[in-house]
Amino acid sequence: MSENAAFEPKIIAFVCNWCTYLGADLAGTSRLEYPANVRIVRLPCTGRIDFNLLIKAFEMKADAVLVSGCHPGDCHYTSGNYHARRRWMLFRELLDLLGFDMRRIHFSWISGAEGHKFQQVITGITEETRNLGPYKLYEGKPAAYPKFPETVLPLGDFSTEKELRQTARKLLSEGTVQVVIGYGERGPIFVSKAEDADKLVWNRNCLTNLTAYLKRKEIKTLGKAAIVVKGCDERALMVLEQESQIERENLHVIGMACEGLGLPKCAGCTVRQPRFADEVIGEAKPAEQIDHYAALDVLMAMPPEERMGFWAEQFDRCQRCYACRQVCPMCYCEQCIVDKNLPQEISPSATREGNFAWQIARAFHQAGRCVGCGECSRVCPAGIDLWALNLTLERAAEKNFEYKAGMEPAATSLIGSYSAKDEEAFIQ
Amino acid sequence: MSEIIAQDALRACVSEWLAAGKCVAGPRQVSWNRVLYSYLKKPEELLLDSEARPVNSIKEFFFPKHEKLYGYKIEGNDVRLTETAEALPEQVILGGRPCDAAALPILDHVFNWDYKDSQYNARRAAATIVTIACATHDDACFCTSVGLAPTAESGSDALLVPFGDGSYEVRCLTEKGKALFAGKTEQSDKTAPAHAGPEKKIDAAKVEAFARDHFEDPFWKEHALACLGCGVCAYNCPTCHCFDIVDEGNAAGGERARNWDSCQFSLFTQHASGHNPRASQFNRQRQRVYHKFRIYPEKFGETLCTGCGACTRNCPAGLGILGIATEISHG
Amino acid sequence: MDNIYQPDLMEVVETQQQTSDVKLVKLRFRDPDRAKQFSFRVGQFGIFSAFGYGESTFNICSSSNWKDHIEFCFRRVGRVTEGLWRLEPGDTMGFRGPYGNGYPMEEWRGKDLIFLGGGIAMPPIRCAVWKALENRQEFGNISVVYGARTTGDLVFKDELDEWARRERTRIVQCVDPGGETPDWKGEVGFVPSVFERAKIAAGANSIVLVIGPPIMIKVTMKLLTAMGVPAGNVYTSLENRMKCGVGKCGRCNAGPAYVCKDGPVFSIEQLNAIPLDY
Repeated sequence: MSENAAFEPKIIAFVCNWCTYLGADLAGTSRLEYPANVRIVRLPCTGRIDFNLLIKAFEMKADAVLVSGCHPGDCHYTSGNYHARRRWMLFRELLDLLGFDMRRIHFSWISGAEGHKFQQVITGITEETRNLGPYKLYEGKPAAYPKFPETVLPLGDFSTEKELRQTARKLLSEGTVQVVIGYGERGPIFVSKAEDADKLVWNRNCLTNLTAYLKRKEIKTLGKAAIVVKGCDERALMVLEQESQIERENLHVIGMACEGLGLPKCAGCTVRQPRFADEVIGEAKPAEQIDHYAALDVLMAMPPEERMGFWAEQFDRCQRCYACRQVCPMCYCEQCIVDKNLPQEISPSATREGNFAWQIARAFHQAGRCVGCGECSRVCPAGIDLWALNLTLERAAEKNFEYKAGMEPAATSLIGSYSAKDEEAFIQ
Repeated sequence: MSEIIAQDALRACVSEWLAAGKCVAGPRQVSWNRVLYSYLKKPEELLLDSEARPVNSIKEFFFPKHEKLYGYKIEGNDVRLTETAEALPEQVILGGRPCDAAALPILDHVFNWDYKDSQYNARRAAATIVTIACATHDDACFCTSVGLAPTAESGSDALLVPFGDGSYEVRCLTEKGKALFAGKTEQSDKTAPAHAGPEKKIDAAKVEAFARDHFEDPFWKEHALACLGCGVCAYNCPTCHCFDIVDEGNAAGGERARNWDSCQFSLFTQHASGHNPRASQFNRQRQRVYHKFRIYPEKFGETLCTGCGACTRNCPAGLGILGIATEISHG
Repeated sequence: MDNIYQPDLMEVVETQQQTSDVKLVKLRFRDPDRAKQFSFRVGQFGIFSAFGYGESTFNICSSSNWKDHIEFCFRRVGRVTEGLWRLEPGDTMGFRGPYGNGYPMEEWRGKDLIFLGGGIAMPPIRCAVWKALENRQEFGNISVVYGARTTGDLVFKDELDEWARRERTRIVQCVDPGGETPDWKGEVGFVPSVFERAKIAAGANSIVLVIGPPIMIKVTMKLLTAMGVPAGNVYTSLENRMKCGVGKCGRCNAGPAYVCKDGPVFSIEQLNAIPLDY
């Protein structure tokens, strides 16, 4: 206790210029005292507050963080705070999964007229944080590796290889496409000649999400492409189209009906039969449905300090090879945020802090976009359970917004839209 | 007369080494489907007799993925540099394969090329390498194509050759190895069988010649289409050693550190002017082969590859040195 | 532990802004013993750092005859150069070097020297010109053809004028077509064509230092060959992204040559054996 008595928490408050900042100002001019523990960082709008600023604040030894802005409906830029609210709803779930101390992360709406509220909120947070003590970021309790529920791993029979080759041969010889992006014996291949169509295979090793190649400039120069997709990969095409990354009319999609590759992601698959391909080869019986999120419940049942210990041990192994990023069809930025150094938002070093920052950024950039192809997890050389990060955000998207990426062609971006009815209980 | 050790006795050695304050690293099951070479906290963590091959290499115990070079403190106009003062603990690297161990003397060349990398050398000096010879090999292995073998001794202080019943023949190759196992082994008249290893798959000289004489060949383009430009091959390769140097800190100071880097990343050779000599993935793939089979042999007389197969085994796109070198060797 | 990556601490003596985004920095060793024993050959480079921002590679663009300080010149383009830009006299920065092979100026004695370069390629030429002028009797005629995109991009303008006043020294300045201002008295055109027009005498007794992108070297070499200058007499200083400067980080190689160890100075004869990897 004596340790806490000497301890003065450092609170970082990210506030919007038009409401909360003026509210803080009003508190000042009204001579309402509030603790000097808070350092205010002013931004134009909560919509501008990047999620990784919260992480940065903790990296800089903040003991608690507040994000505050205009009330819904009052945003100076009309909808900035709505976007922020949706972002925070999803981001909190990720932080909770990682074992962050959620008692140290606060959100509020404080208007320019609410000097009193600003005083109350800051005083409350300071008091609470003083009692919690200093925040030891990324220090968790070591925990035994959790026992995830066992599921049957479905494995299809892959009998349609011949038909696939015939289709490819026809497309190439008739000049409908210049290249077929498909699977070869060792991995992805790019067949440009009809006589090479027999190099295509269709078996349980067809794991890669080939849609990740559509962003590569070396592939774009090969000409109009046909692409072999499983149902899981097809979802990625839909998101890419929604995000204007591909022109669907310029792509010939060969959908392969698939009853499973024997991977954990295949359990309970709802997209065994591609629905939006230009042609579908094969027919798949629907899978037995399972609770996709059961594995997350195992993690969330661990106390937060143990969850943090679990993730710290995993992220310590991260090499920053960026295989997770390169295989992901949704990671198509020409220059990734981690490669930008003016400013260096995310440390490029494979330290615990750098790796958490990277993994959080990567996972959160998938919010509402990840289609669950599982490639990131499969290719990670360090064996990190990346699927859990993405799945948590998938669950958050479905639970809060009934949203699943890549299922409906008419859907709009989850994080790019907002609703006046988005849930608010976590905001003061 | 040979020296042998039973598995229990070997684990007991690990206990002793840990208790004596040494760092011990070896194959460890880190998650349900992943084995990595990592530091052990308990002897039971050491994974022996497993078909599962660690994904990474032992180079990270000599050339860590992130290593502080020195610190700096900023005081007004002045800067003070602070050395990394921590003394390096002794380390025992137990359970690497011959292809892992052989990489270390190969790396010694570049880390001592005119300028001696003192941090790397200090780690080398503080380590004893106890290698376990291979009793099996898989499709990705090709050590025999680059002058090595399942019982190769290069780079090891002691070589443990498995009998197949859980015990090992202990061949102490250096004073360090002898010192480590003094009094721990039993005498025997048996010698452990030598596994033959894979048949020769590639011709390193042919690869060198092709890289030298066919720099602009369309072969490189065709081969590299599947490459996604990640760092898995370079980072898990026992001989790849490219790195970046970064400053990290705040207005009061920080540290200058080196981090692993890969020639496969698009920004690896990016000039400040915007020009990139290797702007396409196939130039970058070519560079990896070129560095290993042409540049390093020319400069240091050794191929920068030990045929361990890690790149081939772990490439997300099924590429790797074995595939490309095989095509060059036979076509 | 002798840490090869640890820099010398340097005091910034003076900074001179050359263009809107180019600065010249003069620095000296804070450690007087180190200052006494330090020497370098023109053409070598150093790794200069602003603590907190990072390290970057630049040619040491001062003459090796100047004993009390060294100089480098840089364009502000990114994070590290932003840090270097903010340095004021009295600040501390880092320097590692000298690295690389330098110009073989002893072999150039008795010959005519021709320097061709553009824009930010001037600094590695400047040190060689000063060195030659300071040892004037050792060399024949000195000619410089230096061009930039616009008149505002020319660096070392005062020094160019000073050189023009020296004996047997001819300076031709040019700007790209469209880059001239109404009062521009120099040439207009790209460096290779301006060089051709200038009718500078060149032949087997000439040494040419040409610094620029591969295409410029190719075009210039064609002209020089026609003039009878052998490829072994033509030199360039290559630039590749560098980090360690000591041949270990694996990124600066152009084909089999490490720019930090086998270069950065190469003759065109050597360059012809190097594939286009720079």
